Amino acid sequence: MPEEQHNEDQQQEEQFKKQHYTEAQKSDIFEKEFMVHVDSMYNFAYRLTFDGDDSKDLVQDTYLKAFRFINSFERGTNAKAWLFRILKNSFINDFRKKSKQPAKVDYNEVEQFYNSDDAGSKITTDLRVETVQDMIGDEISGALNGIPVDFRTVIILSDLEGFTYEEMSKILDIPIGTVRSRLHRARNMMKEKLAAYAKEMGYAKKD
Amino acid sequence: MGEFRDWFKSTFKKCYCEQGNLVDEERFQELVQLVLDGEADEESKKIFEEKIRTCVKSNFTFENEKKIQEQIKTKLCTHKSDLPNDLIQTIRNSVNL
Repeated sequence: MPEEQHNEDQQQEEQFKKQHYTEAQKSDIFEKEFMVHVDSMYNFAYRLTFDGDDSKDLVQDTYLKAFRFINSFERGTNAKAWLFRILKNSFINDFRKKSKQPAKVDYNEVEQFYNSDDAGSKITTDLRVETVQDMIGDEISGALNGIPVDFRTVIILSDLEGFTYEEMSKILDIPIGTVRSRLHRARNMMKEKLAAYAKEMGYAKKD
Repeated sequence: MGEFRDWFKSTFKKCYCEQGNLVDEERFQELVQLVLDGEADEESKKIFEEKIRTCVKSNFTFENEKKIQEQIKTKLCTHKSDLPNDLIQTIRNSVNL
């Protein structure tokens, strides 16, 4: 394991108060508190990687790490958020680095633009409720998949998985104010995609 | 939940002109999303609810945003990938359970 990765893992472990579980307790926690989230974890992984095999690897790796660091998990606390945090870190540290294809969009640049003072005036999202009603899940999913991964992530965590801003802040290691603004930008990006798609497909009705 | 109280107040102020008319819809949508996400504190929610009760444009923006978000959420939630049959067993095997 590369030293940098080892240090990150160690830091992650040290951030939490150490528990001392017996082997039976570890198995119990793993089954009752971790495995119940495997569906959500796989969906999250799939929406990050867009690939079935990569998603399986990512989820499996997450559960391996969860088991390895189980003494850092306090029983009865938010296991789902804890697991999502590990998966997100694994995706950034391992998957993205391993991926031969570099990120096509520099999200920092995108976020900088959307955070600028005049960004609001440049965003004109003309999306009607009726247009979204006419669309099927595939089309909405396509729009979500079309936005940069860091923006896609906040929509998944909030709108699909129901995490609060505070939980998202912990999962993503960003301030809660950034969660709020990033989520707003992400939703705007998605609306723009949907509006453009609707126009292209002739869904958008004229007044 | 009080993290956004000050931000809410200053943003709310910027959304309306002196006559109380909504002049910045884009900014107002940020407030709407905070409320819809259940992240606004009680005081902010009160101010918000009072406004959408009395301002037609604010009410329209709120209802529109709410319906769009509901539609997107519902359609995304029904469009999930199926869990591979062998994944659960593979995970259990990998940790020797």
